[in-house]
Amino acid sequence: MLDPVLYVDQLSKTYSSLIAVNKISFEVNRGEVFGLLGPNGAGKTTTIRMLMDIIAPDSGTALVLGQKPGAMRHRIGYLPEERGLYRGLKVRETLVYLGQLKGMDKKEAEKKSDEWLARVDLKDWGKNKIQELSRGMQQKVQLIASVLHDPDLIILDEPFQGLDPVNVEAVRSIIRGLRDAGKTVVLSAHEMSQVEVLCERIALINHGQIVLYGNLKEIKKQFAPNAIEIAPPLSFEGWGEVLRAEVIDGKQKVYLTESATPRDLLKKIFERGMMIDRFEMATASLDEIFVKVVKGDTHE
Amino acid sequence: MNNKMVQLVAWHEYSTNVRRPGFIFATLLFPALGLIGLIVATFFSGQAVNILRNQFTPDTIQKIGVVDSSGLYTPVAERFANRFVAYSNEDEAKTALGDSKISALLIIPSNYVSSGAVTIYTKDANLSSAVSTDTTNINPFLVNGLLKDKVDEATLARVNRPATTTRLTLEAKGQTTPEANRNSFAFTGGFIVSYAVTLLLFVSIFSSANYLLRSISEEKENRVIEILISSISPLELLAGKVIGLGSVGLTQVVVWIASSFILSGGLAGMAAGFVIALNPLTFLLAVIYFVLGYLLYAVIMATAGSLGTSMRESQQIAGLFSFVAAIPWMVNGFLFVNPNMLVARVLSYIPLTAPMMMMLRLAIGQPPIEDIVGSIVVLIISVPIFLWAGAKIFRSGLLMYGKRLSIKEIWKVLRSA
Repeated sequence: MLDPVLYVDQLSKTYSSLIAVNKISFEVNRGEVFGLLGPNGAGKTTTIRMLMDIIAPDSGTALVLGQKPGAMRHRIGYLPEERGLYRGLKVRETLVYLGQLKGMDKKEAEKKSDEWLARVDLKDWGKNKIQELSRGMQQKVQLIASVLHDPDLIILDEPFQGLDPVNVEAVRSIIRGLRDAGKTVVLSAHEMSQVEVLCERIALINHGQIVLYGNLKEIKKQFAPNAIEIAPPLSFEGWGEVLRAEVIDGKQKVYLTESATPRDLLKKIFERGMMIDRFEMATASLDEIFVKVVKGDTHE
Repeated sequence: MNNKMVQLVAWHEYSTNVRRPGFIFATLLFPALGLIGLIVATFFSGQAVNILRNQFTPDTIQKIGVVDSSGLYTPVAERFANRFVAYSNEDEAKTALGDSKISALLIIPSNYVSSGAVTIYTKDANLSSAVSTDTTNINPFLVNGLLKDKVDEATLARVNRPATTTRLTLEAKGQTTPEANRNSFAFTGGFIVSYAVTLLLFVSIFSSANYLLRSISEEKENRVIEILISSISPLELLAGKVIGLGSVGLTQVVVWIASSFILSGGLAGMAAGFVIALNPLTFLLAVIYFVLGYLLYAVIMATAGSLGTSMRESQQIAGLFSFVAAIPWMVNGFLFVNPNMLVARVLSYIPLTAPMMMMLRLAIGQPPIEDIVGSIVVLIISVPIFLWAGAKIFRSGLLMYGKRLSIKEIWKVLRSA
């Protein structure tokens, strides 16, 4: 078994009377895209800052690339949630400086900056000042700054925040590229749809505690409702097996009673001679799981 | 601490800040003003010289008329003939004064020797007539008339100028410093240059510290700070900024000094070199106070920069410390009377006021050795303490967006390991 890239055990942090992170434990394996999820103020950013040695934990253990936080800074790429750039500096100049701070030599930083700028369609913007770029462009530059030095571990805190769909896809494509290159990515986000398509495993934090942790497919299976998706929509009025049915985007979702099975429903549909094109088990979206877990959490 | 990273931050800060329009303007303003002053002075000095020359050309100097009833002053002695002219009666003399042929009229009565009373008439009650009839001008004329046949020339000269003084300073080991080394030029020149250097160092410390405050405050405001401290430690960042921005301030002062040397045709350089050669120890001490003072204020300004939620708020916090630093300048006037007065001595032992107070005292007088050693020791102890506390607050303050650390929180940060 591979050593975890991130190992967190019983990590805690308290601000005055607020327990920001309360004895959380999780591991992130090499080469995976790991989702660190949670509502605003759940403790995600505090956890990341402890892993980046920006703030010190009160208790617990964290190992980043097998070392104490801060020891492997140059092998980590970090895109903070509270991010910005030197507005008066030129794009390429900024990237080269931030690359050098990550241990690159100047020529290497210049070469990699040019490569990355070309890759994200900002080739012609290198000599422009940051303040002349749109917000989406600036966010791409920030993302380049976090991966320029070819780190082994990349931590992205809310990378999709404030982006239009085109730029969301561009960032998603970069993350996929990093995963394909064997890099480990920790993605902190509250847009569940993005996490759903990118992450293999997740940890859901709420009120400073991990309330859900593991393989995303298994979690979704665990939270799958006793429901069927049917097309075209049918009328189930008076059916004892059906709790309720709803139609969203032309798809009908039929929720069954606890004692009813999908097989019972399918049998009855055939018996009544009703025609269907689609009949499949419904799954829970990460959004639904998120809302269910967060709302069901009693730490109010 | 990674020195390479410190150098990188220092160079980045230096190269970014010396390109700022604000820096270029402030740096060039001083030489530009000097140049304008030089041009104005050159243009007007020719005219001024002519005006002065015209005023004092012998032909145009107006004499003082004398009506002498005592018989002691007529005829007018040869050595006073260019300033005094005798009239036989008062009416004639008053007519001459009315016609502006003379600038003033001196009436010496017959009982002058017993009464000492004389009368002076002037045409206008203005400064010029007051100066021309000042007793300093008239007294030698009167003294000469009283003593001319009674004492020899040497005694007469002594009466007019009783003493030429020689000042000697008794040093600690009993030897005396000859006048040649303590002449008025050396003293005045030394004071002016030392004072100017102190002022420049003061400006340099605060302009550098202000750059530091602004740099950190800007990085915090534009949210680049978290990217930086995820790459290097806060201490490396702080050290790099202190070195880089200190160099920015020094560059400014070097440009100012160089321009003053050039504009004065090397005179300022010669004066500074003369004073340094005369007081190498004072110069060395000024450098020590500058370095320690800068480090202290750099840490304070960096901490203030990290504490404020905006540049304005950071500047308000920093303003409190700048006020304390300016206290020595407020008592500066009293130092001329007694550079070793109690207030000055107390301020020399307080870390925030010690660098400025001691630099001022060194410029004005010779502080006691215990004050020099004591203040340096206080600063050497204070700098690491301020650095330790500043780095802790700096680290915590950097990530407080939209909220300032409270006094209670600062205390908690300082108490934490």
